[in-house]
Amino acid sequence: METNWAAEHLQVIRTLMERSAVYRRALAPVMTLNGAMGTGAALAGWVLKISSLRAFILFWACVGALAVAGSFLLVRRQALKESEPFWSPPTRRITQAMLPALVAGFIVGAVVWARVVSAPESLDNMLLMLWLALSWVVLYGCAFHAAGFFMPRGMRIFGWAFILGGCGLFALGIPDWADRFVYAHGIMGFFFGVLHLAYGVYLYFTEQRKNEM
Amino acid sequence: MNPEPFLQLDRVIHEKGRLGIMSMLAASPELSFTELRDALEMTDGNLTSHMRTLQEAGYVSVSKSYENNRPLTTCSLTPAGKKAFANYVNLLEQIVQQNKPK
Repeated sequence: METNWAAEHLQVIRTLMERSAVYRRALAPVMTLNGAMGTGAALAGWVLKISSLRAFILFWACVGALAVAGSFLLVRRQALKESEPFWSPPTRRITQAMLPALVAGFIVGAVVWARVVSAPESLDNMLLMLWLALSWVVLYGCAFHAAGFFMPRGMRIFGWAFILGGCGLFALGIPDWADRFVYAHGIMGFFFGVLHLAYGVYLYFTEQRKNEM
Repeated sequence: MNPEPFLQLDRVIHEKGRLGIMSMLAASPELSFTELRDALEMTDGNLTSHMRTLQEAGYVSVSKSYENNRPLTTCSLTPAGKKAFANYVNLLEQIVQQNKPK
């Protein structure tokens, strides 16, 4: 008898702590959507030859805005399905955690966009395009790492992959063989597309298993 | 069976409502009064009464501020509250362990 109430109390504590701290929306669909959009956008960037810095910034800013909107819609749909508030405390905490790094990325992009000199194909601008892409990757990693404190631990590792990958490519510099605008879209496509898709697939199986437990 | 862990259980935390408050706050740096009230489905009066008991025991600190010109009451666990809660959970685990069929 005594074991029962003690075990029940522990279960209540566990449930409440999870509800209080951990973000409980399924992230596999969000990651897969973002991955598909990132990969598709990189391919579109190559095909459409988006090679000027301003066009590059504008193009990826639009992709980012669409990805954020799509993610919010998916999360909102899940919340409605579970009859829970969309703007729950964990959602708010995660947004607050991600915001500084994302805003920094936005500001860096806006400043570069505003300061681009008239010659869109100059070497400086092409270098700037690569550095901008890598800055976005690193800042996005920082955003995910911060959010990871309110999400499953894997999110922080995912954030680290962006931070270390972005810094690693900074250190390696620009390879001679690569067409610079193709390389810049490639970086975006790999980090914001392929990595998200891979993590989405991983989450699809692990989240499903957790739900079955 | 050793009754020791059961006798050591903190009566302030053991009450269902207060246990809920302590559990929520243990997993979060701080929560607003409204968040706690909504998550635990308590009335304002009920939550206030439990919060007062927890404050008197030194387990919870309450701070009042303003957000968008509206008063905001924020609650968090004190170090003593964190220690007491960890101790409470340990005792519960001991009770479960010692009553497990061998």
